[in-house]
Amino acid sequence: MKPKSSVNRPPTPDVVENLPEREPTFQELINIKFIETGEKERLMELLRERLVDCGWKDEMKALCRAFVKKKGRDNVTVDELVHVITPKGRASVPDSVKAELLQRIRTFLVSAAL
Amino acid sequence: MSVPNEENLSSQSQLSSHFFLDLLDSIIVDVASECHRIAKLGLDANLEEEDEELKLSAQARVRMADPGNSNETNGKYVVDIFGQTHPSVANEIFECMNCSRSIMAGKFAPHLEKCMGKGRKARLKVTRSSSGAQNRNSRGSSVSTYSNHSSNNSSVNRLTNGNPSFAGEEHSNGASQP
Repeated sequence: MKPKSSVNRPPTPDVVENLPEREPTFQELINIKFIETGEKERLMELLRERLVDCGWKDEMKALCRAFVKKKGRDNVTVDELVHVITPKGRASVPDSVKAELLQRIRTFLVSAAL
Repeated sequence: MSVPNEENLSSQSQLSSHFFLDLLDSIIVDVASECHRIAKLGLDANLEEEDEELKLSAQARVRMADPGNSNETNGKYVVDIFGQTHPSVANEIFECMNCSRSIMAGKFAPHLEKCMGKGRKARLKVTRSSSGAQNRNSRGSSVSTYSNHSSNNSSVNRLTNGNPSFAGEEHSNGASQP
C-alpha cells in the first residue's frame, strides 16, 4: 500500500526558524502595547462605527450580494468574498475617516514610544 | 529612541499606515464573513428592496448635491425627496362654519381671526350687527353687548369691505374702545 503523503511531509518550518533568540522589533513591541492597553480594540470599534455611518459597510455588502448572485449561493466561500471586497474596500474608505484613525494611531505611537 | 527625527517620522507614518490597514483588513474579513453567513442561511430575502433603497438614496444624494436644483426659498415649486411638489399655500377650499363663506385652507387662520373676533374690526363687526339701526343707544354699551353676540352671523360680511361710513361712526365711539 502506498504510504500517505502526509507521513513524508518535511519538518515544520517553525522548528528550524525560531531556534535563535531574536529580539522583538520596535514594531512588535508597539503592537503588543497596542493590544494590551486595549487601544486596538477601541480603534477597531471606532473604525467600524465610522464605516457604517458613511455607508461603506453597505457598499461592501452590496458587492458581496452581487457576487453571490452571480456565483450562486452554494459556491461561495469566505475567502472569495474577502478577495472580492478587499481592493475596493481599501480604496473606498473616506479620507476623513482615514485621517481620523491615522491621527489617533499616531498619537498612540507617540505616547507609547516615550 | 535615538533615531534622527526625519527617519522617525517616516517610519512612524509607515507604522500608522500599517496599523490602520491591519484594522481595516480585520473589519473587511468581518464584513465578508457576515455576508457569507447571510448568503448561506438564505437570510437575504429582502435583496431587491435593499437595492431599491440604495438606488433611491443615491438618487436623493445626487439631487441634494446638484446646485441647480431649486431649494426651499426658490419659488413656488419645491421638489421634496419623493419628487412631489406642494404649493406653498394649501389650496383646498371649504366653508367657514362661522360666516359660511368659502375659504382656502391656507388662508383659514387669518380669516378666523377676523371672522371670530381677535381684531378690532371683528369686535366692531359684532357690535354693529347687534346695534343695526340703533347706533345711538348701543354705543355706550357696545363693549358689554359684545360677549352676548359673539356668534352673530348675519351682517358680518359687510365689515370686510372696510365700510367708510362705519369708520366714521367708530371714530366718535373712541372712548368705549380699548
